[in-house]
Amino acid sequence: MSERLRESLSALMDDEANELEVERVLSQIGDNAELRETWVRYHRVRGSLYGQLQSSASLDISSRVMAAITEDQHQDRQGAPASVGERLWRPVASFAVAATVATTVVLGGQQLVQLSGDQYQDRSTYASNVSPVGLVNAVGATPVRASFGTRPVPVLQPATNEAYERLARQRLKHYSQDHAEQAALNTPQGLIPFARVPRISE
Amino acid sequence: MTCSRLMTRFIVLFAGGAGALLPLPAIAVNCGDSDPEALAWMDRMSRSTQQVAYEGVITLQRGDDLQVMQLSHSVKGPAATEQLTRLTGQGAQVIRDEHPLDCIHPGHQLLRLGSELAEGDCGIASHYRLTLAEGERVAGRRTVHITVTPRDMYRYGYELELDRQTALLLKASTVGRGDKILERFQYADVSFADAGARETGVDVVHHAAHPASVTDEKAGLGVAWGLRWVPAGFMATDDVTSDVTRRTYTDGLAVFSVFLERLAATMPSGEGVVRQGSTTSYTRGIQLDGQPILVTVIGEVPVNTARMVADSVSRVR
Repeated sequence: MSERLRESLSALMDDEANELEVERVLSQIGDNAELRETWVRYHRVRGSLYGQLQSSASLDISSRVMAAITEDQHQDRQGAPASVGERLWRPVASFAVAATVATTVVLGGQQLVQLSGDQYQDRSTYASNVSPVGLVNAVGATPVRASFGTRPVPVLQPATNEAYERLARQRLKHYSQDHAEQAALNTPQGLIPFARVPRISE
Repeated sequence: MTCSRLMTRFIVLFAGGAGALLPLPAIAVNCGDSDPEALAWMDRMSRSTQQVAYEGVITLQRGDDLQVMQLSHSVKGPAATEQLTRLTGQGAQVIRDEHPLDCIHPGHQLLRLGSELAEGDCGIASHYRLTLAEGERVAGRRTVHITVTPRDMYRYGYELELDRQTALLLKASTVGRGDKILERFQYADVSFADAGARETGVDVVHHAAHPASVTDEKAGLGVAWGLRWVPAGFMATDDVTSDVTRRTYTDGLAVFSVFLERLAATMPSGEGVVRQGSTTSYTRGIQLDGQPILVTVIGEVPVNTARMVADSVSRVR
């Protein structure tokens, strides 16, 4: 996998990808098995971080991604010209939706559920607020949409997430002096990296 | 990487350089949009950190946390002794005794202008864009300002202020996404004469280790492992065996360490992230050679980098 592609995928993971990077990943995900595997792996470990269902990792992601892309292209050809914001969001959202039960979906799903409630019946409430509409539209453009509303929003499982975060905190304390030892020899700050160690031991 | 090996390399490249006061290398460098003069300053900075005698009071700010410490660096003959004393919080002191001046660790090698540059390898400028400007006054000294912008997303940026006279790094800010300052250290006061340490009420004295003199005292992991990927420009800070529990990499400005440990039982797959200032701690449970292993990446790098490094841990035969 090329460095550039890896970088784009990485950016996509943190929702920081630009349109170009999204396009790059999308255009290759169909042909590049390694890219797909990396994507699946990232999402599997990321799942717990954001409290998603563990079972989502076992879904056949690639086929759903392909379905989402096809659907997306279909929509693009048929639909009226979308705004820049929508064009930017749609691939990200649909990709994320298809890949796992991702944050976007949970968020989008909740918004869809909310939208069906009385307080949001009047769509003009959103007229002045571009982003929620954009997000709902983006989610609505994917085939996954139908399942929301009929199915409850997934119950979050933060247990693993918390365990790993606790570990990360513990290990930071535990290892930071070993790390500082190396940083002090290899950066122009001299011994200053030791100041990052919570408690220095002999 | 042992220091004797480094020393040889140092002598070849910079014969007569140690001890003499910071000669500005006369290598014509052309590294695209990076200011060659800024590159030369980076080189001087790396040398002055070791070769100049200085002491001062430093503040380190990480988020809401502000620490004050005293640092002294004295040079005696062919070796430097450095001492860091915490003036706030824990009463602790770190001492590095008699570090040979001709022992250049990989991180410093990466900052120095060597023969690689003449051959067209831009070293640090391949991974960062360097621009030079007039700096503000720090600790009463005039400075030059180097803006260090990463060329990829795997490292942070830096704003460095170097003493105009000695090139010592007097102020450094680590800059994350969206120009967010993640960490900042700066001298509040600095003087360039040797002075004895003062009484500071220290409870703990830690003698900083040196890779060349320390054999890995801990038991190995029992599985030979390596990293399939590190960001371009990072190199290992020391020579280690294939089943060590720690590997550390640097690009000259950023450092990250990868720690592996056996877990008693398999954990559900997942990851955890904690960030403190510029430091990221990332953990992930993996299977290596059928063994449940916890991977921890600690370093002054973005979460993404830590994740990708952890992802590349693999067994080697």
